Amino acid sequence: MNAESSASGLDLVRLRALTLDGVEARFPLQPGDRHLVAIGETVVRGAPLAERLREARTEVAAGPAGRSGVPGGWWQGPLARRPRARRTVQGELLFQSGGHWRIAAGDPTEPLEAPFGGIITDVRPGIDVRLRTDARALLAADVLGGPSSGRLHFLAGRDGHVRAAEIDVAGAGAVLVVGSTIDAEAITRARAVGVRGIVVASLGVKERREVAGSELRARAGVHGLPPFAVLVLEGAIARPIATPIMAILEAIEGRTVAIVSGPACLVFDATELDLPAVDGNLVRITAGPLAGLEGAWGGLAGPYRFTGGVVLEAGWVRMGSRDPVAVPLGDLERFA
Amino acid sequence: MTRAPRTLAVLDAGAATTSVSLLVRADGRWRLAGTLAGPAGTPEAALLGTLIARVRAADPELGAWPELRAGVLDAIPTLAARSRPPGLLLVLGASRRIVVDLESEAIRTGWRIRSASTESHDPREMTACALDPDVDAVLIGAGDPPGPDERRALEDLAALGGAVARRRPDLRMLIGPAIRARRAWTHAMADDPGDPDRIVEAPPPSGRRGTSHALRAVLDGLRWDPIDGRSNLRAVTASLAELLDLRVELLEVGFDGGARLLAEPGAAGSGPSCRGIVSAEGGLVPPEPDDDTVDSVLAWTTGSLDRHRMSDRLRDLRRHPWVDAAGDGARLRLAAVSAALTRLAALTPDLTGRPPADLTVIAGGAFATAPASAMVLGVADTIRRPGSTQLAWDHARLLGPIGTIEDADERRSLLADLVRDALVPLGSLVIASGIGGLRASGRRAGARSGRVSLEAGGSVTKRDLTPGELAFLDLPPGSHGEAHFEFSEPVRLGKRARRVRVPVAGGLAGVVLDLRDVPLNLPDRRDRRRSRLADWGAQAWPHDDR
Repeated sequence: MNAESSASGLDLVRLRALTLDGVEARFPLQPGDRHLVAIGETVVRGAPLAERLREARTEVAAGPAGRSGVPGGWWQGPLARRPRARRTVQGELLFQSGGHWRIAAGDPTEPLEAPFGGIITDVRPGIDVRLRTDARALLAADVLGGPSSGRLHFLAGRDGHVRAAEIDVAGAGAVLVVGSTIDAEAITRARAVGVRGIVVASLGVKERREVAGSELRARAGVHGLPPFAVLVLEGAIARPIATPIMAILEAIEGRTVAIVSGPACLVFDATELDLPAVDGNLVRITAGPLAGLEGAWGGLAGPYRFTGGVVLEAGWVRMGSRDPVAVPLGDLERFA
Repeated sequence: MTRAPRTLAVLDAGAATTSVSLLVRADGRWRLAGTLAGPAGTPEAALLGTLIARVRAADPELGAWPELRAGVLDAIPTLAARSRPPGLLLVLGASRRIVVDLESEAIRTGWRIRSASTESHDPREMTACALDPDVDAVLIGAGDPPGPDERRALEDLAALGGAVARRRPDLRMLIGPAIRARRAWTHAMADDPGDPDRIVEAPPPSGRRGTSHALRAVLDGLRWDPIDGRSNLRAVTASLAELLDLRVELLEVGFDGGARLLAEPGAAGSGPSCRGIVSAEGGLVPPEPDDDTVDSVLAWTTGSLDRHRMSDRLRDLRRHPWVDAAGDGARLRLAAVSAALTRLAALTPDLTGRPPADLTVIAGGAFATAPASAMVLGVADTIRRPGSTQLAWDHARLLGPIGTIEDADERRSLLADLVRDALVPLGSLVIASGIGGLRASGRRAGARSGRVSLEAGGSVTKRDLTPGELAFLDLPPGSHGEAHFEFSEPVRLGKRARRVRVPVAGGLAGVVLDLRDVPLNLPDRRDRRRSRLADWGAQAWPHDDR
């Protein structure tokens, strides 16, 4: 415990970790998806990790003879002598019942590509593949879609609101930082013009549902679209991107970054880069009428009566030259 | 010579917030010196340090104690309860019917539930559900004996269970006897019964050999954690009932679960008993709030949020449950609490059917920031039984940690010292039903249907009563009195009568007289419903500007 922060009460303000040094990302698989890598294998960005089924189903087949088959194993049936008459069943063995195997099969497949280079640390058929890198990562709240990767570019400032008209083909292949919020239509358009990812402070439930629907439609199409992901830094209610996060994003602008969902983060390989230092006295208001504003910690205010007769532990926040404002401690965060 | 400790830190580390209290031993008994809470993740030492600094500043005598000097705080003994995440249970069955039966048992335990049946999911989908790393345990059950709708798919289900047990060695499995007996199970397990600590026999949910709560007991046993405050609420509620010699009901709403327990003191040499449930359904907001959750919270709100915005608010509340606790945020939180209490009440009709407890204790971090009268209103809205009960609030969140004390005598002894400090009196809640009958008998709305005289401390407060009324009468904490009700026609208030005398105790909210319908009958139209809720809320929320 830092003596100075302890004396001022700053320790009671929730500390938010911004970055991770080294990431082990998890890529979920479904039964029937076929992994193409093995534990300990080194992969580069773009290398195929697995083939995912787009239309999965359960097949019933005799399967491997005797007790040679194990659940989770891959099985390919004998080639048909008359292809037009019989199909060849291949897929993941699920279980054996009544002398026949249930097999997860399907077609067509789409590749799952590594969004960054690293070492495969675990492969569990039907469950996941884990990939480890020494690169750093910016932590976020949620990821929709993905994984994906591309060069990081800015489309708006920290409190921007991006609409569909602002998205064009210049963003193809890029991961765009769009500020505070973005329309669902803008996300759909971004995906259509080849943008690889969006970094946004907040995304409402309505937009999330529309993006999920758009994702389903894209996957159902005959020609699969390139990978795409939305990285949500904060939550559902609109607020600007915090300045320490913005400083990191600005420092890595133009570099290739990856968005992964487990853990939700933006991976960037910048081990040589000195990331901007965080002001230890900076606090950010995360909720209430002043949500999104930042200021300097002014000490504990003690139990304080707020609107609605609610008494909460509070701290003073100095914003510029104005008088300090009492803010509930729960509505404050600081950064590390 | 070692001296007995004179200070004790009590820690309740919840999933959303951490509460630290300081107990000091003075005049031969433990007393609560102060309490402080912060968001989960706040260093416990920082909370305790700040709390002790305040105690020292407020009480110079305590400030002189060497145990409370700044450099020796680590030496203060600590009684801690730490919340355990609820865990996700996947319920699998060979028919929708049996899955519903299994779910109805499992939902009354601390597990979050996900389910699938062979009628609704194909084998690949069911395997995918079981292989999901979020799933902590799988319950594969069947009727005893299996019903005709199950028999055809039992062999497949047993084979699927065996395959999952082999593929996920980290998974706890609860397997019903009808599944274990299948050849497909033993074949899939390669004739190995498996680790008995991991693969547990699950009693059937009902039937000739299934006792009604056997499955519930097994599920609760799997989650048992000696330092989990919620798991130990039964013990502390029973101790409280025994100590006070009262029937005590505990209503707890926390981040990941809640509880509704009713304890009764022992009689004729038997110990106290406790019934009720600890359920993940009683949590403030589930991890992924769906439309039903959003609607259930909207049903208790008076603001103009639409479904999408409410969904956004609940999602953020789930993500950061400590934020936005003032103003509109406090109202939203209490609406979510009311929705949680409604869910708990729906799961415990047996408790609702019993007479009200002598003392109702409100506990849990979800109540931490609400004004006292709003808390009482939340209970009155959702736990509705004709009769009267005294309400108290576990404001310092001491009950969970005290419940972790294994020895019943030691637990009761500490509780005896602390009960007055731990439980803040909120007042008395008196609910009378059958007033609707007065309205139906032709009286006009707003007409007087009775009268109450509240006698306390030598003064008498009289008030006319109207059907459907909710009234807050001042009666300060520590005061006791008697309320004399006289209605023009018989009503239900513990018993059915025209004249009823009810002992009442004062509290922060006073005496709350509730003549609304039992169960509460709210208008279907949203605007009218909000208007009705706002009228009642105006009495409960201080400085209401709506």
